[in-house]
Amino acid sequence: MRNTKYLLQAAAIAAVYAVLTIGLMPFSYGFMQIRVSEALTILPCLTPAAIPGLFVGCLVANMVSPYGMLDMIVGSSATLIAAVGSYLLRNRPILVPLPPIIANGVLVGGMLYYAYAVPIPLFACILWVSLGEFIACYVIGYPLLQYLKRYKKIFELH
Amino acid sequence: MQIQVKNLNYIYSEGMPYESIALTDISFEIKKGEFVGIIGHTGSGKSTLIQHLNGLLKPKSGSILIDGTDIAEKNVKMHDIRRKIGLVFQYPEYQLFEETVHKDVAFGPLNLGLTQEEADERVKKAIIMVGLNYEEIAERSPFELSGGQKRRVAIAGVIAMEPEILILDEPTAGLDPKAHQDILRMVEKIHSLTSNTIILVSHNMGDISKLSDKVLVLDRGRLVLDGTPADVFCQADYLESLGLGLPPSAYLMRELKKRGVPVSDNILNIEGAEEELYRILSKPI
Amino acid sequence: MIRDITLGQYYPGSSWIHKLDARIKIIWTFVYIVSLFLIKDFWGFVTVLITLTLFISNSKVPLNFILKGLKPIFLIIIFTFVINMFMTKGTPIIEIGFLTITKEGLRNAFFMGTRLTLLIIGSSLLTLVTKPVTLTDGIEKLLSPGQKIGLPSHELAMMMTIALRFIPTLLEETDKIMKAQMARGADFESGNIMKRAKSLIPLLVPLFISAFRIAQDLAMAMESRCYRGGGHRTRMHGMRLEKRDGAAIFLMVLYLVIIITQAQGIFTLLPGIIH
Repeated sequence: MRNTKYLLQAAAIAAVYAVLTIGLMPFSYGFMQIRVSEALTILPCLTPAAIPGLFVGCLVANMVSPYGMLDMIVGSSATLIAAVGSYLLRNRPILVPLPPIIANGVLVGGMLYYAYAVPIPLFACILWVSLGEFIACYVIGYPLLQYLKRYKKIFELH
Repeated sequence: MQIQVKNLNYIYSEGMPYESIALTDISFEIKKGEFVGIIGHTGSGKSTLIQHLNGLLKPKSGSILIDGTDIAEKNVKMHDIRRKIGLVFQYPEYQLFEETVHKDVAFGPLNLGLTQEEADERVKKAIIMVGLNYEEIAERSPFELSGGQKRRVAIAGVIAMEPEILILDEPTAGLDPKAHQDILRMVEKIHSLTSNTIILVSHNMGDISKLSDKVLVLDRGRLVLDGTPADVFCQADYLESLGLGLPPSAYLMRELKKRGVPVSDNILNIEGAEEELYRILSKPI
Repeated sequence: MIRDITLGQYYPGSSWIHKLDARIKIIWTFVYIVSLFLIKDFWGFVTVLITLTLFISNSKVPLNFILKGLKPIFLIIIFTFVINMFMTKGTPIIEIGFLTITKEGLRNAFFMGTRLTLLIIGSSLLTLVTKPVTLTDGIEKLLSPGQKIGLPSHELAMMMTIALRFIPTLLEETDKIMKAQMARGADFESGNIMKRAKSLIPLLVPLFISAFRIAQDLAMAMESRCYRGGGHRTRMHGMRLEKRDGAAIFLMVLYLVIIITQAQGIFTLLPGIIH
């Protein structure tokens, strides 16, 4: 399915993700992990191009600002894993925001604990990140999904 | 005086290495119910100026008095400004987002705090005013509509807020000639039905000269001309030096004048040109 | 507001470090980050600091440019510092009300704070001396061996490049959409988290649709110029390793050796040996 439309959909998603992350810093990096851009993690429900799209978006967002290569590696991996998970759950929209919450919670929470050395217990770090993700993915993302579902036409890939 | 702008100054990206002066010492007044045209080449600061008028931008210095209240002051509530002054941006169809046309047009009124019933009333009125069929269009998705329809819906979204002052930034940009005329006629209709104040930013000199009571000319952030269409458009050479054009009929008259035909200077529209030519042609040679 | 964000941290220059191959710089950054986590005591930081200073002074990027870009992050550094200082258990030194500062807390705060600061300054150096497009090329080249196991490195790099190119355009779109919705009374600034989250829909939906519209146009433009995907495309500027890259690799190995031996405590034995 590697046609040009697929490529560009992914690039568009990546760009929107990056723009939303950059536009709202510094709340998107480091300790504060409430990324509005994470609301886009519902996109794999609408198009598989969102899997590389979100991954690249996370990479680019970290490339274009100085806040940590570590965020880039860990965050992007979490995003990729989450996107695959969301794609697999695409037939149960209500579950679609779960993979990002779990993946980011565990991986980014772990990063905060080990790398940023926040001296609160590991599970507290994980919980904290998961909370931020929950807000982004369910409170913003889920309604966003309902809106975008009506415009399925623009997600066509042929 | 409904709108009074005094010594308005604005600088883009102040403090950053690429700061640039957008508006310098602008002052003008607009009476209630006037139809004002703003013209100027690209980059002259038209968009910047109108964004000041509805409070989206705050000036570096100077005051903007709307019905006597300076909206540049800190404690002015945005809500009250938005209630009074509506702004339709260029290519407004890009702001549509709701699931149905009705819901999208209702967005503005609901934000102003109206009840759902009041908002519904306003939506109906606005959609009819922009020349669309309410029953046909209300429950459709805005994204299914044609470009011209989308634009009207977007404009309806602002009209539904029933602003006393309506600012339109190039409402006919990108439209074919028929749609262009339709939109302009719509603007005229709104003006005569509601007697509101209209500020129209446009590149089309014909439209401006035909519809405006007053014309403001911007050049590189400064207000260089302020007067009636007759006052402004008779300064043909100056306008051209600013990179601006003239109403088409004015060009015709100027060419005729160059060839020795004694036409008057003050012809601004087709009807005037027609009359003038009749006058000239019926004189014995 | 949104427009004022300087994109990327790239500071133009033609220093030695600017001219290094992007791949080398990426690998160096990895090594650097890993090394920071191998360090156990403050002597390790001395090595890092010396290395960092050498690189920064070579790049000729003004120090206040670097620090200015780091301003928002300082909050996090200070936060880390303070949290470590007050929340580490151990032998108390000072007591202020119900807050205790312990000896371990103080040491931890300085250690973690320094590590975090060096981590951030060091990794930001990568984007300071490498253009995003060059960085993307570097990533593509590094990942290209992965194509043998099915990793679409070319496509990924292409997505990155296009996304980078779209970002300024979309930032402008975002600004326009925000202003248009604000003119209709939308409020993005006040209210609790739930309310603010909901208020983003009038921003996100049009932004999304705009982005996809631009993407579709670009897809058509690319295809009409016979773009068919990765495989057989050629490059305008090849990426070749030069002598300076070899020097950089040598320095990297040297650096790693010093860090590792320091971590094993060999240098602290030295005074003992000399004695």
